[in-house]
Amino acid sequence: MAEIAFRNVTKRYGNTVAVDRASFAVEDNEFFCFFGPPHSGKTTILRLILGLETPDEGEILIGGKPVNGLTPAARNVAMVFQNLALFPHMTAKENIRFPLVERKVAPAQIEKRVAEVAAKLHIAHVWHRHPAQLSGGERQRVAIARALVRDPAAYLMDDPISALDARLREETRVELKRIQRELGKTVVYVTHDQEEAMSVADRMAILEHGQIRQTGTPSDIYDHPESVYVARLIGSPMMNVLPSMRDKGRIVAAGGAIVVSDPDAPVDAVEIGLRPEDVQVSPWRDGAPARPAKVFEVEPLGGYTVVTLDAGQTRLRALLRGQPDIRPEATVAISCRPDRVHYFASSGAALAR
Amino acid sequence: MSTIHLHGLVKKFGDFAALKTMDLDIADGEFMALLGPSGCGKTTTMNMIAGMTEPTGGRILFGARDMAGVPMGRRGVGFVFQNYAIFTHMTVRENLAYGPKMHRAPKREIDRRVQAIAGLLELTPLLDRKADRLSVNILQRVAIGRSAIMEPAIFLLDEPLSNVDAAFRAVMRTELKHLQRAFKQTMVYVTHDQLEAMTMADRIAVMDHGVLQQVGAPLEIYNDPANVFVARFIGAPGMNLLKGKPAASDRGLVVDLGPLGATPPLPTALAAAVSRSNGDVYYGLRPEQTMLLPQGPGIAMPVTFVERIGARTIVHLGGGEAAVKAVCANDVRWVTGEAAFVAPVEQSVRVFDAATGIAIKAE
Amino acid sequence: MSATSVSATSVPSGEQPAVVEPANTGPRAVDAEARRLGFRLTLPAQVLVLFIAVFPLLMQLYISLTDWSPLSGVQWWSAWSQWNGFANYTDLASDARFWSALKRTAIVMLVCVPAEFLLGLALATLFADEFPGKRLFYSILLMPMMVVPAVAGYMFFMLFQSGGPVNDVLTSLTGFPITLAWLSDPTLALLAVMAADIWQWTPLMFLILLAGLVGVPEDQIKAATLLGANAWQRFTTIVLPKMKVIIIIALAIRVIENFKIFDTLYIMTGGGPGVATETISVYIYKVTTQDLIWGYVAAIALAILILLSIAAVFGMKQMAPGKSGGKPGAKREGAA
Repeated sequence: MAEIAFRNVTKRYGNTVAVDRASFAVEDNEFFCFFGPPHSGKTTILRLILGLETPDEGEILIGGKPVNGLTPAARNVAMVFQNLALFPHMTAKENIRFPLVERKVAPAQIEKRVAEVAAKLHIAHVWHRHPAQLSGGERQRVAIARALVRDPAAYLMDDPISALDARLREETRVELKRIQRELGKTVVYVTHDQEEAMSVADRMAILEHGQIRQTGTPSDIYDHPESVYVARLIGSPMMNVLPSMRDKGRIVAAGGAIVVSDPDAPVDAVEIGLRPEDVQVSPWRDGAPARPAKVFEVEPLGGYTVVTLDAGQTRLRALLRGQPDIRPEATVAISCRPDRVHYFASSGAALAR
Repeated sequence: MSTIHLHGLVKKFGDFAALKTMDLDIADGEFMALLGPSGCGKTTTMNMIAGMTEPTGGRILFGARDMAGVPMGRRGVGFVFQNYAIFTHMTVRENLAYGPKMHRAPKREIDRRVQAIAGLLELTPLLDRKADRLSVNILQRVAIGRSAIMEPAIFLLDEPLSNVDAAFRAVMRTELKHLQRAFKQTMVYVTHDQLEAMTMADRIAVMDHGVLQQVGAPLEIYNDPANVFVARFIGAPGMNLLKGKPAASDRGLVVDLGPLGATPPLPTALAAAVSRSNGDVYYGLRPEQTMLLPQGPGIAMPVTFVERIGARTIVHLGGGEAAVKAVCANDVRWVTGEAAFVAPVEQSVRVFDAATGIAIKAE
Repeated sequence: MSATSVSATSVPSGEQPAVVEPANTGPRAVDAEARRLGFRLTLPAQVLVLFIAVFPLLMQLYISLTDWSPLSGVQWWSAWSQWNGFANYTDLASDARFWSALKRTAIVMLVCVPAEFLLGLALATLFADEFPGKRLFYSILLMPMMVVPAVAGYMFFMLFQSGGPVNDVLTSLTGFPITLAWLSDPTLALLAVMAADIWQWTPLMFLILLAGLVGVPEDQIKAATLLGANAWQRFTTIVLPKMKVIIIIALAIRVIENFKIFDTLYIMTGGGPGVATETISVYIYKVTTQDLIWGYVAAIALAILILLSIAAVFGMKQMAPGKSGGKPGAKREGAA
């Protein structure tokens, strides 16, 4: 019974609304991720689940039961904080044991659990050290181990790996997902790194100013964003969102550099969205249906190349595989597959064909 | 001429050698990234260039001028700290004006320069805000502006984007690059994020445990890593390395990976060099240049994990020592547990000596 | 990573902006429980404060409105029988001895406190860096503060005798035979008393200011150096502003304590010669023990209390808005 649900929860701090009528449901054994820019309410939602905050309106349910008035201890959820909150006067091992000692679990059980968890997170070899003697990565894993060692209804993680080196982050997020799968636990995870969110989440919720804008699997959200906001937030490099016009059954954008033939395109579309990987770049040939574009910048990433193009008054980016021979100032033609184009109304909402 | 030359630079803290003999030449107006994991010595190197730390050995020259004994206030370098070190008790304006004020510039000139820099960095509406109540994104621009207003020939940045949120990071990368080009400054940029280094730098100096591993343009380092460390560190994800023994076969020289079987034959030029080496080697394949096929020829491995990250999908195969990652397009669907055949894209294979880690170059 | 001395860093990292959301004002299950526990835990202390501070204050107010003295023949709670309203206060206004005592106290304060501050600051900046013998010097430096004020009084009494060490030192320094009668000369006695106070309390200033100095973020100082600031500029533009709160606290503590200067002074000079070193505390003491007009004394003391409270509130307001914590006249542990 690990379902966590919010029903129209609102939380205010003075005049600021941190969480605005949020409703969602996290399924049992699901790895659920909250994603959004700073100040969008992600951490507040975690604190509401944990019980460090009380909602001003709405209901919070854990395991089907309303928990609005319950203290954190009574809710049986474990949290890994962003700043880790490790006890500096205890060794790593003592830190990890702490939740179990608090709950008066039998010593033999404690040893067993601690050893299991420490082995899973590869910190058994340093568990006799104090947090001050550990590296940033080791400290992070101790904090995660401390949460893992209990058997709570759900784990809450507030950006637990952001302080690690890029490489270590990539490896740890895979580990976290593996551990979650193995343990079969519900995890609610907050991050501002979209690659991380997409990698670990079974489902995710996108937040803006305390409101949930879209919920779904990462693939859903990536392939079918419901608004310009979500479309821009997910995807790196950012989706190109350009003003567009209808012109005799064709969609035209970027000062004529992009021409899409799509009779099924929605009539009230005012903007189109094209993901950089869907922008096709080819050498310019006279007589092409669209206007030419100029290469502004070429950023070689090794396996991919990001090409920034100037077309009309707009600037857009293309993500090309490999290391194509493209130089700044070159003149190129832009094209794309019609089915890869996203359409948006003036309200910012996505339109279906 | 704002070139920087590091000759045999060493830094020891007691017995611990943070930097062991570094030789590096940074050209005038170049954007040089010092890239490496925590503790590799990159920040120590930068602190010595700035004059904040004294070298234990070796020399630092700006142009032809030896910087030994030149205190940090007189080196004419701009420095952006990782935590920005903004003067929190002053306004944004006062922060920006600090350098010129300490050099006793006339008030009118200070105002002019502050306006110019604020305009460039889009700080104008915030000039009179107190610096302790601003978001990190703004603080970062103030930190850059505060140094930039002095128009230093050399600009040092210590992981300036590590505290900034991901979306803003991409924007700032472009801005920084353009700023550097516009002012033609020599920029030294410390980072642990290889993506940052690849997108921004003219050349990258890869470091590990106080030793310089390789210096070169981003694509050079990506395409021809000098050793196993660089191969693994550069690229998202890093290069796949499988250990094996060179073995002759009827189709040419292959690498025998033991239980995984043999790799496809090595390209001829590479094979010639590899055949001359002794002992085990690492067979290296970049994930972006790793093809996954439903059947052979190739190395058979089970799929253990699939990460779909926006534009690409990373498929994890095998485990332990024999772990491989492949980057695939999103329309390809692999499922955990399936068996796939790993094969390289032509000519993209790299081989490394297993004992030394050094790349074996094709002739 | 290279080791640096302990210092504060300036900007919080992570995705949360430096803008702090207004302190959580909503009801929090955890908070309410914590507050209740806190109240219960501080109850004994609150009761103590009630008896030690509040009741005596009320008593004092009561008596100050009467003409009571222990010689009146009635117990203090029947003091209403000698009621004279605000007569004590109006007398106070025209009491010349009171005003000159007040003036003298102000002079002592205006000399001692700045002197202690500047000396303490100088010593603190000295101690910011390492130097050989630092630990030893530190212990020696703190010793004056450990001496019982009365003992210090006696010590300085002996030091400033006409045939005493101070004159001997001055003689050998200047080459002239110096036999100043420190404690019998009105001006010199005041100077001697000030010297005693400065000797005893500079270490306290030093300690507080050192704590403030160490709290200045090191990376901001480095940034200032890199931008071309020299040592003096760094001191005035970065170090002092960052120490502002600590400086105000240190000055507030010393001003209030120095104003009440008594033990050392009384043992050294008894308020003499004549009334040359009679500060307000000495005056109150004399009126209390010699003249025994306790109603009047209560009025004096209450007037001083109000005066000091106004000064303290004024001082606290100078601190950055939003940072001032406790009530006016709040004392810190460790203050004598």
